[in-house]
Amino acid sequence: MSRRRVGAATAAVAAAAVAAAPDPALAHGLVGRQDLPIPRWMFAWAAVTVLVASFAALAALWPRPRLQTLEERVVRRVPALLDPVCGAIGVAVFAIVVYAGLAGSQTANANLAPTFVYVIFWVGLPIASLLLGDVFRAFNPWRAIARCVAWGSRRLGAVADAEPLPYPPWLGRWPAALTILAFAWVELVYVGRDDPSRLAILALAYAAVQLVGMALYGIERWEERADGFGVYFGLFAALSPLRWRRGALLVRRPLEGVVGMLTVPGGVALVLVGIGTTSFDGFTNGTLWNGSGGGGGIAGFLTDRFASLGLGAENALMAAFSVGLVAMVLFVSALYRLGVQGMHRIGGRYAARDLSRRFGHTLVPIALAYIVAHYFSLLAYQGQATGYLISDPLGRGSDLFGTASATIDYGIIGATGIWYVQVGALVAGHVCGLVLAHDRALATYRNPRDATRSQYWMLAVMVAFTSLGLWILSAAASQ
Amino acid sequence: MRGALSRTQRLALLAGALALVVVGFGVVRGGGSGGDARTVSPRPPATRAVATVEVRNARPFGGPRVLRFKRGDTIRFRVHSDVADEVHLHGYDRHRDVRRGGTVSFAVPATIEGRFEVELEGRARQIAAIEVVP
Repeated sequence: MSRRRVGAATAAVAAAAVAAAPDPALAHGLVGRQDLPIPRWMFAWAAVTVLVASFAALAALWPRPRLQTLEERVVRRVPALLDPVCGAIGVAVFAIVVYAGLAGSQTANANLAPTFVYVIFWVGLPIASLLLGDVFRAFNPWRAIARCVAWGSRRLGAVADAEPLPYPPWLGRWPAALTILAFAWVELVYVGRDDPSRLAILALAYAAVQLVGMALYGIERWEERADGFGVYFGLFAALSPLRWRRGALLVRRPLEGVVGMLTVPGGVALVLVGIGTTSFDGFTNGTLWNGSGGGGGIAGFLTDRFASLGLGAENALMAAFSVGLVAMVLFVSALYRLGVQGMHRIGGRYAARDLSRRFGHTLVPIALAYIVAHYFSLLAYQGQATGYLISDPLGRGSDLFGTASATIDYGIIGATGIWYVQVGALVAGHVCGLVLAHDRALATYRNPRDATRSQYWMLAVMVAFTSLGLWILSAAASQ
Repeated sequence: MRGALSRTQRLALLAGALALVVVGFGVVRGGGSGGDARTVSPRPPATRAVATVEVRNARPFGGPRVLRFKRGDTIRFRVHSDVADEVHLHGYDRHRDVRRGGTVSFAVPATIEGRFEVELEGRARQIAAIEVVP
C-alpha cells in the first residue's frame, strides 16, 4: 500500500470514528436532571456582594492575628468503644457496596455502588465533615482494617520491633493530590465511570494500596499524608468547630483548625486539584466546551484532533476530556500562583514557595464552596435514591427494608432554592477564605501595612475564584 | 498595630464599598430585568406551535435544541425520527418507542424544575433538552 493510500485509509477510519463518536455532553448516567443556570440578576448581585464584602473586610477586619493559635476544649467524653464500632460499620458498608458492584445488576441506576460512591461518599462526606468533624476518619474502612490487624498482632505478642519506614518528606501530600485527580478523572472522563463492577474493582484496588502503604509507613502517618480521601475529607473537617479525639469531643472556633494545614509538599496541589476538577465538571456543561447548536466547542475540536491522530471514538473523547481536566487544574493553579507572586513582591521577605504553602489553607473554604455549589442538587435529589437502593442494593428485586418502591421526590427543593444555596455557598466560602488570608497575613508580615498590601493580591485571587465559580454556574447549562 | 490603616483610609474603603452597592444595584436594575424577560417568560403555550425535534441520520437536525417551559404548564413536543429507537425524557422518566420514519408526541405536566435530556436511548445520543423554569 502506498503512503498516500495509507493516509487516505487512516482519514476514512478517522472520519468514521468521528461520525460514530458519542456526543460529549453526556454526564453521569445517574443524573437525569441538570441545574438551571443562575439568572443574570442573581449573578450580578452575588458578584457585587463578593466585591463589597472584600472591601469591607479590608477596612473592618481585626488588626491582630486571632486564628493562629488553636484553642480547643473538651466538651464531652466519648466511650472508647465508639471508634471500633464506627470502624466496623465502615468496613461493613464498604463490603456491601463492593459486593453490590460486583454481583449486582450492571445498570448504573439500579445498583447501589455508583450512587453510593459519587453521591454519598464524594459529595455527602465533605459536607458532613464540615458539620460534624472528621467522620470519614471514624468510618474509614482501610484504616479500621489496619488498626484491627495491628491490635490483633499486638495481642498475639507478634513482632513489636518492626518500626515503620520513615515517610519521605518530599513526598508529602502528593499521593493524596494524585488520588483526587485520578478519582476526578474516573468520574468526569472515563467512559466506564458508571459501571458498577469496575467501580467496585477500583475501590478494592485503592483499599489494597492503602493497606500496603499503612503497613510500610505506619497507619497514622499514611492516613495523614497519603490516603487521598482521608486527607481530602480531613481538610474540610478542619473547617468544622468539632474535633473527635480518642475518647473526647473537642470544640474550637470554626475555621481555625485549618490554619497551616497545607504547609507540607503537595498540600496546595491537593486543594487546587479539588477546585480545578470541580470547575471542570461545571465547565463541561457549558457552551464554550460543548459548542452550541450544531457544533463548535472545545470538546468537539479536541475530539476531532485526537480522532485524526488515529484514536478510536471513545478514546478520542476521553483524551479530549483528559486534556480539559488537566488544563483546568493548571489554570486554577496559575491563578493562585499569580496571587502568590504578587504577595512575594511585598516586603520581599518570603520566597514564593513559602508563601504559597503559608496561604494554601485559605483556599479550603473555597474548594468546599465549589463542591456545595456544583453538587448540592445531586445530593438533594440523587441522594434520595439511597432510600430504595439500600432495600435492593443489587438491583435484583429484593426489598430488605420495605423501601424498594420509594422514588425521588423532586419537590423537596425547587430551582430557586438551589440557586440560593449555590450563590450562598460561594459567597460564604469567599468570606471565610478572605478572613483566613487576612489573619495569616497579619501573622506573616511584621509590618501591618505590608500585610494589608499583600492582601490586595490574595483578594484579587479570591475574587477571581469566586467569579469563576459563579460564571460556570451561570453559563453552565446555557446552550 | 492599629496603624495598618488610618481612620480616613478605613472610612474611604467603606465609602467605596457603599458606592459599589449603589452602582451594583443600578447595574442589576438595568441589566437584570432584560435577562429576566428573556429567560423567565416563555411565550404563552396557547399560541405556541408544538415543537418538533427532527432526527436525521440518527442525529438531531441542527444540533440539540433547548425547549423551554414554565413550571405548571405542559411539556409538549414531538420527535420525528428516520431511525427506530426509544426516546427517553430524563428526570420525568418517560419513554416512547419511535418507528423508523415515525413521529411520537410527549405531553407531560411540567412539575420538576431543571434541565432534562431528551435522548435516543438505544444510541445514547442527546437530541434535545427540556428546561422547566420557575
